[in-house]
Amino acid sequence: MTEYVIIGDGISGSSAAETLREEDPESSITVITDEGEALYNRILIKEHAKGKLPEAPISIHEEDWYAERDIELSLNTHVTGVDTDEKVVHTHEGDEIGYDKLLIATGGTPTQLPVDDSDAEGIHHFWTFQDARKIRESAEAAEKGVIVGAGLLGIDFAAVCGAQGVEGKYLMRGDRWWRYALSSEGAEIMHEGMREVGVEPVFDSGVDRFETDDGQVVAAIDPDGERHECDFAGVAIGLTFNTEYLGDIDLEQDNGIVVDQYMQTNLEDVYAAGDITRFYDVLLGEQAQNGSWGSAKEQGRIAGVNMAADDEAEEFEWVSSYSITHFDFPFLSFGHPTLGDDHAERKYSDTEWRRIAFKDGKVVGGVLIGDLAPQSKLKQLMREQRDVADQKEVLLEETVDLDDLAPPQEQ
Amino acid sequence: MLLLVILMATTTSAGRSLTLRRVDTVAPNAAVRHIDQLDDRTLERFYAALEGGRQLTATGTDLEPGTVIVATDYYRVEAV
Ligand SMILES: Cc1cc2nc3c(=O)[nH]c(=O)nc-3n(C[C@H](O)[C@H](O)[C@H](O)COP(=O)(O)OP(=O)(O)OC[C@H]3O[C@@H](n4cnc5c(N)ncnc54)[C@H](O)[C@@H]3O)c2cc1C
Repeated sequence: MTEYVIIGDGISGSSAAETLREEDPESSITVITDEGEALYNRILIKEHAKGKLPEAPISIHEEDWYAERDIELSLNTHVTGVDTDEKVVHTHEGDEIGYDKLLIATGGTPTQLPVDDSDAEGIHHFWTFQDARKIRESAEAAEKGVIVGAGLLGIDFAAVCGAQGVEGKYLMRGDRWWRYALSSEGAEIMHEGMREVGVEPVFDSGVDRFETDDGQVVAAIDPDGERHECDFAGVAIGLTFNTEYLGDIDLEQDNGIVVDQYMQTNLEDVYAAGDITRFYDVLLGEQAQNGSWGSAKEQGRIAGVNMAADDEAEEFEWVSSYSITHFDFPFLSFGHPTLGDDHAERKYSDTEWRRIAFKDGKVVGGVLIGDLAPQSKLKQLMREQRDVADQKEVLLEETVDLDDLAPPQEQ
Repeated sequence: MLLLVILMATTTSAGRSLTLRRVDTVAPNAAVRHIDQLDDRTLERFYAALEGGRQLTATGTDLEPGTVIVATDYYRVEAV
C-alpha cells in the first residue's frame, strides 16, 4: 500500500488528494494544512470581504468529505521540515509522518512591505479566509483606505474599498496599473473603473512608511513625503513562496519549485503543484509560473495521476485564465500576457481593449477588456501553437474569425 | 432590474433550458462559483448569453440550476 503525503490543502493539494483516491483506491493519503479549515474557495473570499457573499457558500469541503474518502486531514498542522532521505515530514508538534510519495502544494504568502509599522492594525494582506473576515470587518468600520501593489491582487483591495464605501487611494509605483501587461490605453480603462467605485489611482507613488497612533494605522507617507490619511490599508506587492520549511534539502528551486510537465521535482518521489511551481510549460517551451485557480487545480490532478501511476502518465498542458469582475465591464487575462517577444493591441471603445502576446510567432497570452468574445479562439490558437504573429490584423478585428487566417504552413 | 437570458438546451439528454437571472443577494445555502471556475466551453456560452442574448445550446456546459455565478454581477442559473 503506497503512502501519499500532501502538504497544503488549497485547491492543488485537495485536487491531488481526490485524484489519488480515485486512481489508487487502496492507498493511504494524508493531507496536512496549517489552516484551521478544510478547502474553501480562495477566489471567492474577496466577495466576502466586499460584504456581498456570506461565509457558507465559500466552503468547498467539510471535514466529512475527507473521512468519506478515507483521507486523513490534519488541520492546524504546520510542516516544519522534510527529510527526503528518510522520507518523513516533521510537524510543529514534533510528529513524524512517513511517506512513499510526497506532494508539496504549499503556495505562497503575501509579501509584507519592507517599511516601518507595516504590521500595524488596519494594514492588511490578503490570502486566507481569515484575512478576508478581518478585511471585511476593518473595511466596514473604515473611512479612508490606501492600497499598494498595482497588480491582480491589489485591485481586489480597491474593489473592497469601493464596495464598503471606503474612500480609497491606490498608490502605484509606475504610471499605470499592471504595467507589465497593459499599455496606457488599456490601463486607463481600469483606472476609470477604479474611479467609478470611488478609488483614486495615484501614479509614481508608493509607501515609504506608515504613521500609526496607538498601534493603528493613520496615514501612509509616499516617497515624496506626501501624506495619505487612512484607517485601512491593503498591501499586495507580491507572493513569497512557502518553501522555508524545506530547509537545505537538495530540491531545485528558482523562485518557486522547479518541476517538469509531470509535476516531478528533481528529487525522486517528490512532486509539487499549484502556485508554488515553476513548471515546464509545453505550450511556451520554457519554465513558467501560473497564479490561478484553474491551473492549480489541474496541476494537482496531473500530479495525482502521475504519482499514482508511478510514471509519466499525463503531462500538464493548460491555458490559464484570470478574471476581474469588480467593474461594469469584464476583464480576462489568459496564458502569459507579460511574456513573449512581440505583441499586438487595440482599443475599441472607452471600455474595450485587447492585447495579444506572441513568442516565436505564436500566441502565448493576452488581456481582453470589455469584450471577451475572442477569448476562446485566442486560447485555441495558443493550444494549437499556430504561427500567427504575422496576421495581427485578423486577430485584432472586432470579431475574430479564424477562417480569415492563412492556413497553417506544412512543416 | 432583472436580466433574463435564455440558454436553449436543444439536444441535452436532460433536454432542459436554462436562464441566467441577475440577483443582488445570495442565500447562505446556495452553491456559488466564480467565473474562473467555469471550463472554457461553459465560459464562452455564459458570456455569449450575457452579451448577445442569443439562444444557445447548454449541451456540454456544467451549469446546474440553482448555482450562482460570480461575474461582473451575480447570476443565478435557473431551469425554465
Ligand atoms: C484574494 C485572492 C483572489 C484571487 N482571485 C483569483 C481569481 O479571480 N482567479 C484565479 O484564477 N485565481 C485567483 N487567485 C489565485 C488563486 O486563489 C491561487 O492561484 C490558488 O488558490 C492557488 O492554490 P494552491 O493550492 O497552489 O495554493 P494555496 O491555495 O495557497 O494553498 C496552499 C496551502 O498550503 C498551506 N501551507 C503553506 N505552508 C504550509 C506548511 N508549512 N505546513 C502546512 N500547510 C502549509 C497554506 O496555509 C495553504 O492553505 C486569488 C487569490 C487570492 C488570495
